[in-house]
Amino acid sequence: MIKKIITIFSIAVLLYSCGSESGNNNNYDDGFNRSELLANLTDNIIIPSYNNFQQELINLEQSAINFTNNTDQDNLESLRSSWLDAYMAWQHIEMFDIAKAEEIDFRRKMNAYPCNTIRIDINISSENYDLNNSNHYSAQGFPALDYLLNGLTDPIILFSGNDGQNYINYLNSLVQYMLLNTNEIINEWNNNRDLFINSTENTASSSLNKLTNDFIFYYEKGFRANKIGIPAGVFSGSPLPENVEAYYHNLNNNTTSKNLALEAFVCIQKFFVGQYFDNSSEGTGISDYLNHLNAQEQGNNLSDLIISTFDEAELAITELDQDLMSQINTNNYDMLVTYDKIQAAVPLLKIDMLVYLSIDVDYIDADGD
Amino acid sequence: MMSTLKKYINSYTDSSPLVIFRIGFGLMMFFSILRFWSKGWIDKIYVKPSFHFTYYGFEWIEQLGEYTYILFLICAISAFFITIGLKYRISIIIFFLSFTYIELLEKTIYLNHYYFICVLSFLLIFIPLNSSFSIDNILSKHRSTKVPRWTIDSIKLLLCIVYIYAGLAKINSDWLLEALPLKIWLPSKYDLPIIGDTLMQKNWVHYAMSWGGMIYDLSIPFLLINKKTRNFGFFMVVFFHVFTRILFPIGVFPYIMIMSATIFFDSKVHDRIILALKNVSKIKFKDYKIKDRNSLNNKFSIIILSLFFILQLTIPLRNLAYSGNLMWHEQGYRFSWRVMLMEKIGYTTFKVLNKDNGQSFIVDNDEFLTSYQKKQMNFQPDFILEYAHYLGRHFKNKGLKNIEVYADSYVSLNGRKSQRFINPNINLLAETESFANKNWILPLKNE
Repeated sequence: MIKKIITIFSIAVLLYSCGSESGNNNNYDDGFNRSELLANLTDNIIIPSYNNFQQELINLEQSAINFTNNTDQDNLESLRSSWLDAYMAWQHIEMFDIAKAEEIDFRRKMNAYPCNTIRIDINISSENYDLNNSNHYSAQGFPALDYLLNGLTDPIILFSGNDGQNYINYLNSLVQYMLLNTNEIINEWNNNRDLFINSTENTASSSLNKLTNDFIFYYEKGFRANKIGIPAGVFSGSPLPENVEAYYHNLNNNTTSKNLALEAFVCIQKFFVGQYFDNSSEGTGISDYLNHLNAQEQGNNLSDLIISTFDEAELAITELDQDLMSQINTNNYDMLVTYDKIQAAVPLLKIDMLVYLSIDVDYIDADGD
Repeated sequence: MMSTLKKYINSYTDSSPLVIFRIGFGLMMFFSILRFWSKGWIDKIYVKPSFHFTYYGFEWIEQLGEYTYILFLICAISAFFITIGLKYRISIIIFFLSFTYIELLEKTIYLNHYYFICVLSFLLIFIPLNSSFSIDNILSKHRSTKVPRWTIDSIKLLLCIVYIYAGLAKINSDWLLEALPLKIWLPSKYDLPIIGDTLMQKNWVHYAMSWGGMIYDLSIPFLLINKKTRNFGFFMVVFFHVFTRILFPIGVFPYIMIMSATIFFDSKVHDRIILALKNVSKIKFKDYKIKDRNSLNNKFSIIILSLFFILQLTIPLRNLAYSGNLMWHEQGYRFSWRVMLMEKIGYTTFKVLNKDNGQSFIVDNDEFLTSYQKKQMNFQPDFILEYAHYLGRHFKNKGLKNIEVYADSYVSLNGRKSQRFINPNINLLAETESFANKNWILPLKNE
């Protein structure tokens, strides 16, 4: 009897697998169009975010040139505000650490904080440095500009004093390097867009898997740890308020660090559901893919669960003191609670979501035990 | 009864199946070691990591660093010696010891396949695979065309144990009633040609493959033993293992199982293969004195192997001593031929509490573990405990004398929603590894 079952089963499988070639076309027949998902993320989120960021950097460059030509308080103020606008726009793209951006270490060149002020001072006076060298990652990008524009006791005097030209040179070389790298990445996106959205196979290096992994990594490190966890002392035992993002600007303005964190969180949520950069519409997002894969547990839809966990975390950040540093210094407990609420989404993303996406990670042989 | 047993022990059969088995086993081991080497895994798994997970009872295993390469070399050479049947007994002992030592170096890459090789190579120490068609024949100037029947039968018995236990393990509700984890794995193979976008997406295929796999494992031994069904059984072995090879990254294991199954064929088949090998290789074996009886110390071997098989039969059952869902707590899970049974993924971080000032911090696992170690540690309790103790030692060396370590751990088993895995209020430094039930593992909810 068993023999018969096996015979029939094996013949059936053989026949079926031989006879099903007709279904072989480019649309994967599990009913989900991965190219459409990738196209939405690429065309309506990633590329527009980069284009917007590029525009902000061009403005920043112009402001730096104006300040170079006329080192006065007005130009300093407009340079500061261009810097902040660009920093806000940066929050939209930090999570796309992929392809060219990954290759040139873009993220670490743009936003490694706290910056290394000693190295910055040395670079300014020596004028001998290589921004491509990883030793100088913490002496460039937004945090270094933060120090130059907001951290020096009297920038006008310094930028127009004896060493003024050194300061001016450093400022401009940082801004231009940021723009140069950004242009390079945008070129690559424009050239490889089709290749990217058609890479739908399930391998560790395919577009969707890389994008998803980068998204999770960013949520965990770039967002959760850098913006909230590290300043709150989650990884060090004692709080490190000076490690907040945009530390110097925040000293004067109070709200900067929190605003940057909230902007970043909005981007995270928009990316997850596939909402366009310009908010005009909502396309296919990872949430839709999860829904398609039937990721439902305990009557809860996994996408909805992730979204509501995001909402709670966002609310917790909103309710913090407008100045994250004073929050840490006066009542760090609330900061830690907020961290926990952000953290609550990590198991959902790293475990539940990845189970359903079944992303192949081929390190070595495995037999599933 | 005793007389039947005595008669069996003293009965003899043709040695040719052992010849093919020897050549097949030796070659496969030789090439799988080369494969492991060429992929750079020796460096990645054994040399680079500063910390290694060890097996309970084998924590004393000395890490070899760069010298691990020499161990692999020794293992490969002994596999080659086995293939050609040169100094067989010493070679198989060296192979068993070196291969087992390699496995004991790092628990992270435990695979049932590797354990199978350890067990099989131990068994082969007592079996005269060099009886004929071997260099040893030329050296000793005699060969034996007959070997005790139990020698071949014990290899068959081991294979049957593996298949039967693998089949029994599949009789669980996740596998049969939910078609899990195949229901999760197969749809993700959407990029396979022809079947990826069609069959792999179908619910009935997931069930058919779950049930088929269970029935396959349980019936293969009988199909292979029974002469009438042997050809069909062997066809199934080839089909099944090639199919799983296409679907999953399981390395050389399918080929080893296919090769092993040839032991079930009777000597006529093997004789023909040997004849072909002789013709191709042009090796001339003089008509050596044919010793009818192999000179093995029968009694000693039989006692050792009886104990060996008693252990092989009981070890996979030790999980019965623990309550709760076996796949969840994994106590008694290893060494039991439980293959491809679960999709488990976890996320575990550790909080170090300094009792002197009440401050605590969370450890960045990337600082200590490789990505593969981290992946395995995330959901296996004994890894979590061992790592917690490692962290304890690390931070005590850094001057934090009075600390406690807590795990914040979430695990998802076979697509269930992730849930807390380890009791977060238990200081893991106060717990030690043992066979006792790990009561700091939280039970699986909603079962």
